[in-house]
Amino acid sequence: MEWTGLQPEMVRSELTEIVGDAHVSTDEADRLAYATDWFWLPQMWLDRGEAPRKPDYIVRPKSAEEISAILQVANSYRIPVIPWGGGSGSQGGALPVFGGIVLDTKRMNRIVEIDEKSLTVTAEAGINGKQLEWAVNEKGLMLPHYPASANCATLGGYLAPRGTGTISTKYGKAEDLVLRMQVVLPDGHILRTPIVPQHAAGPDFYRLFLGSEGTFGVITEATMQLDYLPECRLLRAVLFEDLTDAIEAGRQIMTRRLEPFVIRLYDPRSTASRVKKILGYELEGAYMVLGFDGDKDIATLQEEKAMDIINGFGARDLGREPGEAWWNQRYDFYYPPQSLKLPWMYGTTETVTTYDKIEKLYFAEKKAVEEGYKEWDIDFIGHFSHWFHWGVMVYTRFIIRNPPDDAKEAVRLHNRVWNTAMTAVLENGGMVNEHHGVGLKLSRFMRRQYGDAWPLLDRIKKSLDPNGIMNPGKVGFGR
Amino acid sequence: MNTVIGAIENCRFCLMCRHVAPVGHITHNESVTPHGIALVAAMQRRGQLTWNTSTLDVLYAEPDGGNCRAHCVTDQPLPAAIAAIRAEVADDGLAPPEVVSAHNRIAENHSAFGSYEPATMHGEWGLFVGDVGFNLARETVQAALKLLEACGLDVVPVGCGLDSGFIPCSLGYPKTAHAQARLCIEEVQRTGIKKLLVLSPQDLFAFLQMHQERLDITWPEDVVIIDLIDFLASQVPNLKLIPPAGITENAAAYVDPTHAVRLPGRFDAARSLCEVALGSAPLELFWRKDRAHPVGSTAIQFTRPDIGVRLTEARLEDAINRGAKSIVCDDPVTLHELRLRDKSNMRIQGLYETMLTRLPPHS
Repeated sequence: MEWTGLQPEMVRSELTEIVGDAHVSTDEADRLAYATDWFWLPQMWLDRGEAPRKPDYIVRPKSAEEISAILQVANSYRIPVIPWGGGSGSQGGALPVFGGIVLDTKRMNRIVEIDEKSLTVTAEAGINGKQLEWAVNEKGLMLPHYPASANCATLGGYLAPRGTGTISTKYGKAEDLVLRMQVVLPDGHILRTPIVPQHAAGPDFYRLFLGSEGTFGVITEATMQLDYLPECRLLRAVLFEDLTDAIEAGRQIMTRRLEPFVIRLYDPRSTASRVKKILGYELEGAYMVLGFDGDKDIATLQEEKAMDIINGFGARDLGREPGEAWWNQRYDFYYPPQSLKLPWMYGTTETVTTYDKIEKLYFAEKKAVEEGYKEWDIDFIGHFSHWFHWGVMVYTRFIIRNPPDDAKEAVRLHNRVWNTAMTAVLENGGMVNEHHGVGLKLSRFMRRQYGDAWPLLDRIKKSLDPNGIMNPGKVGFGR
Repeated sequence: MNTVIGAIENCRFCLMCRHVAPVGHITHNESVTPHGIALVAAMQRRGQLTWNTSTLDVLYAEPDGGNCRAHCVTDQPLPAAIAAIRAEVADDGLAPPEVVSAHNRIAENHSAFGSYEPATMHGEWGLFVGDVGFNLARETVQAALKLLEACGLDVVPVGCGLDSGFIPCSLGYPKTAHAQARLCIEEVQRTGIKKLLVLSPQDLFAFLQMHQERLDITWPEDVVIIDLIDFLASQVPNLKLIPPAGITENAAAYVDPTHAVRLPGRFDAARSLCEVALGSAPLELFWRKDRAHPVGSTAIQFTRPDIGVRLTEARLEDAINRGAKSIVCDDPVTLHELRLRDKSNMRIQGLYETMLTRLPPHS
């Protein structure tokens, strides 16, 4: 139900007092644009001509102080507040499911400082990822977080869902690159976390805000670790006959700490479909892109050692060109119509676990999804792309090319597939997500994910946000 | 659905050009990014929205500067799609009064900014002067003609005060745009020109791409269309320009003109001429080359003048933030807009005018 009458105007007048009339909108077109993020469900809903739940207000603050004041208004009226960065999240984390105030942070896009000695950048959370990268590139530096969403996501959006980028295997996830944050708590209190994250001065409380997706507060500024732009990037592609061998080769490269910046391993189904469609290579088997960067001598030696491991599995060296082609076109997968797109139904059920469990998990999920939805001719594809010393993320996806036309039926089928996939993930020691976050999509799995630990998280939430105004319905927290 | 308009179906949920979308960048508003505009248009077509003040404000916020398409891996013609939707809106009598008024001026005078003077001379080489060049920035035109003379060319000025069809097409009046485009071609043919140099990237884009793609008009095969800046860059050895003495570091920033992202071949040519004219490489803006943002010189000056002004101000701020004391640009359209909006007393100099001062005295 839309919120009409005197009270909405009262709220609007208070918001206008804080940010100015130009930065508060209740326009129909604006409210539509903020009614969907990159989650399949709201996009499908709109595609089928259904009316979405829109925010009541879009507010564009310029500072942490303005956000603080906005949150105090929201608490007074018990209005939901949904922090918004680039709107590129795929989990529905920015959806105004109960209406309320969408807090668009993009006016907060200032670079506060680039410290070329400590190799850090401090920037406001609303800065666009690519624009931030261009700015540090001018100093010969890089923020080594290269997600596919860099063109549209914001710095705050990198951190809020604990994002991972293409070169995380060497440089870490976004959460590993942050030294310090400024956060506005739900009650309007503005805090800064300590100057460095690695210390022994008490608990690591700053991590609470990483992955909280705006439910514990609003990240307004962050100091991030930078690296020098690498002297070289050596890329090549190899082809394994067998996926099991490929995973084991990847494990050996990682556990021997050869420091690839990327290992991108496509399962045979992805090799046959996505690699063929985007890169044009018609191959059978498991296609792996391997990259080493930095000092040329060191990268060359690391690559040689890795190739010794790979050759031990009888994989075929495809040379540099296919590896470089992948690097140059790595984001082309996300441009329509090359990307997965409506009216298809699709979802990325990516997960992470340890090496001893990953293969079993992958095949269990594949079997559950493929057998459970055979009548829908479901396609299940995946790639292994973020590797750790202890395990690896698998980016599994399902695709149904002829989903129900009826929007409500499509919602039900979509959620059933997710239930099946997440049950297989949880039963096999996986996390419900590795880098897209929880959002609305996975909110219902959080209690199962955390079991005995969930009440603690719930208590923290209630303590920080007693009125439940911050991004309700997300990350397992209700309204 | 019209084939071109089909682009909105691909763009409505795609965010991949956000980093270079100029209006989104200055307004920080999701609804006036390429995806937001496409989404509003797509929902209007699904009956979820109607064209009203709010939704038309979004539809007319697209500047048609080409940034989204220049960065689109799958080459979605969103600006053309939006122009086509604006045409539907105009047909339905819903175009805003300012848009109608700008269109009427062009339809009546062939010019949005003054008058059109048909060419009377004949020759092999021509310079397409355009509407803004003739009516608002004649010093740039004169400088360009003198430089061409110094190259040994006898050039016929054509299209003096004539809109190339770009503005009416972008406003949503393809019939008027078609008539303007035909007029451009007729004048070039009537004057016997076989080599047509084009002063403004806006007109060059119209001739090289827009006429064919949006209006289904093909230029005669025997007319070669040449970017003036490319030609002059090739003539630097012949011009024998005298660089200013003792300059090692420049405080002049080069502004890539509106539509430059649609003509990436000109980036290096412009800089090589700047180097000769200024004595060293110009300062580079943050928004440069393939990410260059437009000033408010496109149809946006009529569709959403508030946004147009902010686009221009953002270019000036970019130059100030880079420590520039002056701005240099070759395009009369961009130069005019920058001069109109500057409040900082920045020196805004035409590249061709500056080059002219470097010509040897006997030239």
